[in-house]
Amino acid sequence: MAHFRPARLAVGFCTLIGVLALWYVSTSATGWIEPTRFPNPVDVWDALQQITVTGYANGRLDQHILHSVALVVMGFLAATVIGVPLGLWMGYSARAEAFFNPIFMLIRPIPPLAWIPLAIVWLGLEDASKVMVIWFAAFVPSVINSYVGVRSIEQPVLEAASMLEVRGARFVREVVVPGALPHVFTGLRLSLQASWTTLVAAELIGAFFGLGHVLTQSSLDIYPAMILVAMMTVAVCGGLMTLVLTWLEHASMPWRRKS
Amino acid sequence: MSNIVFESVTRVFRRDGRDFLTLDGISLEIAEKEFVAVVGPSGCGKTTCMRMVAGLEFPTSGQVKVAGEAVRKPSSERAVVFQQFALFPWKSVWDNIDFGLRVKGLPAQKRREIIEHYIGLMNLKGYESAYPHQLSGGMQQRVAIARAYALDPQVLLMDEPFGALDAQTRVVMQEELVKLARINPRTVLFITHAVDESVYLADRVVIMTSRPGKVKEIVDVKSTREKEGWDKYSKIEDVMDLPSFVSLRTHIWRSLREEHGHVEERA
Amino acid sequence: MSGGADPHLGHWPLSIAGLAAFFGIWWLAAGLGLAPPQFLPMPQDVLRTFFDLLHEPFAGYTLGQHLWSSFLRFAMGFLLAAAIGVPLGLLMGWFEWLDRIVTPLFECIRYVAPIAWVPFAALWFGTGIGGPVLIIFAGAFPPCVVNSYRGAKYVEPRLIEAAQTLGASNLRIVAQVLLPAALPSIVAGLRVSAGLGWMSLIGAELIVASSGIGYMLVKGQSNIDTAIVMSGMIAIGLVGVAIDMLLRRAEARLLRYRHPSNS
Repeated sequence: MAHFRPARLAVGFCTLIGVLALWYVSTSATGWIEPTRFPNPVDVWDALQQITVTGYANGRLDQHILHSVALVVMGFLAATVIGVPLGLWMGYSARAEAFFNPIFMLIRPIPPLAWIPLAIVWLGLEDASKVMVIWFAAFVPSVINSYVGVRSIEQPVLEAASMLEVRGARFVREVVVPGALPHVFTGLRLSLQASWTTLVAAELIGAFFGLGHVLTQSSLDIYPAMILVAMMTVAVCGGLMTLVLTWLEHASMPWRRKS
Repeated sequence: MSNIVFESVTRVFRRDGRDFLTLDGISLEIAEKEFVAVVGPSGCGKTTCMRMVAGLEFPTSGQVKVAGEAVRKPSSERAVVFQQFALFPWKSVWDNIDFGLRVKGLPAQKRREIIEHYIGLMNLKGYESAYPHQLSGGMQQRVAIARAYALDPQVLLMDEPFGALDAQTRVVMQEELVKLARINPRTVLFITHAVDESVYLADRVVIMTSRPGKVKEIVDVKSTREKEGWDKYSKIEDVMDLPSFVSLRTHIWRSLREEHGHVEERA
Repeated sequence: MSGGADPHLGHWPLSIAGLAAFFGIWWLAAGLGLAPPQFLPMPQDVLRTFFDLLHEPFAGYTLGQHLWSSFLRFAMGFLLAAAIGVPLGLLMGWFEWLDRIVTPLFECIRYVAPIAWVPFAALWFGTGIGGPVLIIFAGAFPPCVVNSYRGAKYVEPRLIEAAQTLGASNLRIVAQVLLPAALPSIVAGLRVSAGLGWMSLIGAELIVASSGIGYMLVKGQSNIDTAIVMSGMIAIGLVGVAIDMLLRRAEARLLRYRHPSNS
């Protein structure tokens, strides 16, 4: 859906301008939409300034972002460091798959958000419960996709490896891992998105800091402009993190680049 | 000694609770450094024969022996060239050929010599750092052949290696393989359904029956080839024009046609 | 990874061992009193609580009633997303100008996590049903659009040409060529959409609801009754699996007649 040709960009740009204009007109000039329902662009700009300079909900925007991102990174790394190797192992070892699959089938259908109440019971409303929920959100996709990645290695390639007598650590390092890598990255991307979504939800439910908390606070204060600022920040941060991951993906797989 | 021996090999294949007899008592001996092609109708089990020598499949009864020992698992002594090339997409041409040599534990200097030798021989110069997806089918198969030869195996197994290539590339590859086989003779088991190819490349051609596969006939090509001096022609079309070539080819074709008739009956 | 007989059949003792290890460790940890029973109930207590909840109400309703509440919301949000998303995606795939106009807006909104709509949902709908439905819609909408778009855009041109040479009217072409061709993509999108919608529902109910399974979880949490929380999690998982299985069945049924072209 994204082809960056100039004509397309121009039309896209015009559409956005049009929508912005419509937004401005309907919220401020004519008052079609009440200020308590949806903010007008000017108020949003003011809110943005407020949170970046003076702060809102116990902190400035950059502090909230940093806090949220830090939690996501912690949970994400902790989950993928276990999840990816486990998924890979389950992929190439029928025994490992037989052992872990049933347990995994029990955990998998539970949506990450459903872990929040349990996490709060066990770890309270502090950061630890958030990290736990993020861990579950990131764990499942990374295992599944790593597993699929190994399974996706073509049979002739695996037979060539056995013909060359590639075994043990070398087999894992030079065949399993590179072969599964494209799918592993897909899994990492899904894990990251899930982590981010789950964190925001967890912070919405109970937190003292972070972007989710900003959302809650602005909701309680009936401050739609700030809600919008927070929503946009969530979207932008999520997008940026995905971008970094995509860059990493291309950098690590030189054999997939089109010449 | 690097001969291949099939001793009453039978292969039964189980699917959906039913047993299918794929190979029925194959007994065959391939001498050291002999180039043997196996032709037969689809489903006759010729690829299964090769895979049993490779150690990728096993007979239900009987034995497959290489150099006097039964085959138990795949080994680089029985190098395989696959129809689908089976190169490692994440490794460059150089690394693909190097991989097996590293597993064998050869020192770096020796590996470099071997790889450079075969890159030259297979016309891959300049493509050492290329990745498989950047190469044409013909080039990829050249890498696969180089990889197999570089292992200095006792036995070379080729499973319709030119099957996935277009007609022109196929011809070029056949010419190159013939040159390579004459310079560097070793025991080769070559599976194909193209009769031309089998007569052009092989010392003997084994014709198999339709399923369940048995050895129908073995045609000696080498004596005719040497007597008629095919090797003095460098171009494949010149060889294929010779009456001696044509008569061998027609003979094998007729034999196969009988088997195709059987296949249609059974269908 | 070796050839030969199916290795999976031979390893079922390991599967049992895995499950045994899982429940064994749980049972031991709970039995040894590593944590008070409200925090770590024994596995059998969780099961008992689950079955109790089927006829004893908690937080106002029984488990079945909570689930029904949730399911209704889910169905509303999902059907709304499908009813708007699928036609929109198809039209965007067929008409380039529509694609150009809508895509920039879509791409902006698509990456906002469904849960982030909660404050606006609360603002606009209070504790009414509109809130959760909005959030479910936010989760279920993008896959419907994207997959229908893909299904519409990547139709074999030759199919359309063939229909035109046969003299089919435009309406015919749409109904009998384009729609069936896009169907696999649409159905795949609906399955993904249902999954996301169900997950968004749970999130929504954790915050803006006074009934439903998510609400039950929150109440269990504030009572520090882990057995109830876990029972709720089990129920959520079961329903999620059931929805997915149902849709897979429907997908297989619907696409069965297309298989001859693939074999």
